[in-house]
Amino acid sequence: MTISRLRTPRQGFMPPFVLERIIERGGARLQACARQTLNADHGFRAGRAPAPVADEALPAGSPTPGEPARYVYSAEQRQVLPGTLMREEGQGATNDPAVDEAYRWLGATYRFYWEVFERHSIDRQGMPLLGTVHYGQDYENAFWNGTQMVFGDGDGELFNRFTAALDVVAHELAHGVTERDAGLIYAGQSGALNESLSDVFGSLTKQYHLGHSAAEADWLIGAELLTERVQGRALRSMAAPGTAYDDPVLGQDPQPGHMTDYVETESDNGGVHINSGIPNRAFHLTATTLGGYAWKAPGRIWYDTLQDRRLTRDIDFVGFATLTVDNADQRFGSRSREVEAVREAWHGVGVLS
Amino acid sequence: MTAESPPPLGPDSVLAIRREGGLAHFPGLAKPRRIRCAEYSEGQRRWLARMLAEAAAHDTSEALSGADRRVFRLDIDEEHDATRVSTVWTLILAEEQAPSALVSLWQGGQVEEDDDTGEHID
Repeated sequence: MTISRLRTPRQGFMPPFVLERIIERGGARLQACARQTLNADHGFRAGRAPAPVADEALPAGSPTPGEPARYVYSAEQRQVLPGTLMREEGQGATNDPAVDEAYRWLGATYRFYWEVFERHSIDRQGMPLLGTVHYGQDYENAFWNGTQMVFGDGDGELFNRFTAALDVVAHELAHGVTERDAGLIYAGQSGALNESLSDVFGSLTKQYHLGHSAAEADWLIGAELLTERVQGRALRSMAAPGTAYDDPVLGQDPQPGHMTDYVETESDNGGVHINSGIPNRAFHLTATTLGGYAWKAPGRIWYDTLQDRRLTRDIDFVGFATLTVDNADQRFGSRSREVEAVREAWHGVGVLS
Repeated sequence: MTAESPPPLGPDSVLAIRREGGLAHFPGLAKPRRIRCAEYSEGQRRWLARMLAEAAAHDTSEALSGADRRVFRLDIDEEHDATRVSTVWTLILAEEQAPSALVSLWQGGQVEEDDDTGEHID
């Protein structure tokens, strides 16, 4: 059996015995993912130094902190990457909505990371932000391929073009950040945390752009993507996982919001887009309990946790939750309302007792 | 490294094709297309076998990098009797590696007749 569904770890070190344990005890799908990792992992990431970008043909990054280096390409409905360069940093609008949306939202995402966390692009060193639009024919997906972001035009029946949603563009860019900082294994609970972190920072980017407080935010992911034919509001709801859509074609939103409803499955890499509803809701509970702007205390706690050297590549929900409480403690003090809010949020979703 | 060659398809074989992954998991879109070999001729089973061999010929040893990427998952199940089914072969393939015949089969369920020319079907 051959499985090729786990992303190559760019950073991070997972002891081989952990992978071997998964191979021994995990389901067939996760076993194969772990086997792939074991084969691909050369045991690097000493000191969590940024890993070099594999593609030597990358265009120039930004030498100036606070300024992005954006490059938007068109695949011209083919499945080729990166495609034809359509717009680069500083150039004017092209009148191609997908190109201009990708350019605009990559800029908004860069600005969020820079102004809130003083992070200079994905690698902190001005890495160029590459986006390809018009990927494939009627392609209903967006993804991060380890080097760049890719966006389809949607089929027009169920899905609009995937550049339409700022939080989706930011979600994909955030995968690059998580990959650099933590290298979370894209399977099971660590994979669900990987997905949740992209939703958290994707949503925060949108909230920051709109100037919305936690109370004003919609806490939806990809609200602009579903066409009016679909019976649904978005791809996911961080506030109420499992309620984003209920449609004859798409089915019913499968996300749980509590550990009692945790989904054991080999589909979707062990449910990475399913069980991410649980940590998503924990973040939402934290943010709404504290009030104000969610990118401030809650976003800072989650970002600190992402940087935490104790964050292992195979961390589970309990381990991650414990680290968020500890990071809230370190930043705000053990008796702070922030610590209490984080602890109560994880208790509220059944991760911490 | 390429995948294990698919086993021969007999009348008790069932081929399940799923497309998984992507930015979100939609249960309705993740349902498998099931091809019950008992319902097809020898020639159609040869066509399926060649399509599977072609899919398995891709180099799948490289881990798929990134996140939210889609894959095709192919399972061959053998139905021993009404209650016993075992999966005898699985292949997971990045969607960009999938032969066009596989994508068409997943989308439309049309199984072609093999003309036994030995030519590639993609």
